[in-house]
Amino acid sequence: MPHTGQCFCGQIRFTIDAEPIATRMCWCRDCQRVASGSAMVNVVFAEDIVTFTGEIATIERIADSGNTAERGFCSRCGTQIYSRMLAPKGNVLVIRAGTLDDPELMAPQAVIWTSSAPSWAVFDPELPYYPRGPQ
Amino acid sequence: MTYTGRCACGAVIATIDAEPVATRQCWCRQCQQLAGGGPTHNAMFPTDAIALTGELSSHSYVAASGNTIQHDFCAKCGTPIWGQSSARPQFRAMRIGFLDQPHGIKPQMAIWLDDAPDWAVIDPTLEKFPGQPPPPRAPTA
Repeated sequence: MPHTGQCFCGQIRFTIDAEPIATRMCWCRDCQRVASGSAMVNVVFAEDIVTFTGEIATIERIADSGNTAERGFCSRCGTQIYSRMLAPKGNVLVIRAGTLDDPELMAPQAVIWTSSAPSWAVFDPELPYYPRGPQ
Repeated sequence: MTYTGRCACGAVIATIDAEPVATRQCWCRQCQQLAGGGPTHNAMFPTDAIALTGELSSHSYVAASGNTIQHDFCAKCGTPIWGQSSARPQFRAMRIGFLDQPHGIKPQMAIWLDDAPDWAVIDPTLEKFPGQPPPPRAPTA
């Protein structure tokens, strides 16, 4: 059974014919901005197995890691869909967990960029956490 | 205190000359969709205290509360800016991620916890509601 997802308004849909590789909560400042103040919950898939329909707007950003990332979002409803690394080129697509039809497909396994988390953030004590990106 | 905010790409900026009347962490399923899988964090400010420049895009929907919410975001980068409820046009629910740090604003309550995923970790000091909380009080003059 492939996994499926969509943006809030439904104009972007996707199917993923593989299991996720990992799930991480990211507190980098850029993720907080586009996640309305929360950590972004990122579900990592191999890049070439995600099939999209609909019109995806993109923007390039220099991430806190220094890498150049592309972010995809819905221009009609604003839902954040994915990010991927352009430079250096990555090979995974990071899907925002909120877009998955099963948002609990894979619970977070790590918390990253805790050094930029707000003072009120709470972390699951069972999870490994990293002040910056995972090594 | 005057608060400022900017989206991820800088096309939308705002200045807010008031204190928030309420701050909330919302776990409704619709907010999870908009916030990448976690909750939205919202600081409710008087509408007339907010000065904003830049191009917004809008999407309106009927929320779990039954109110119609207009979600406004940066047209260029998608950063969530605010939600405005049909029930309370005198307030804007500014997305806390939009505000420039340090701002000292933190959530006071967690709402719609019935929709939260099993892995959610909620600060035990927050006031908690399984669904919609009572409306915020109007700011005192």
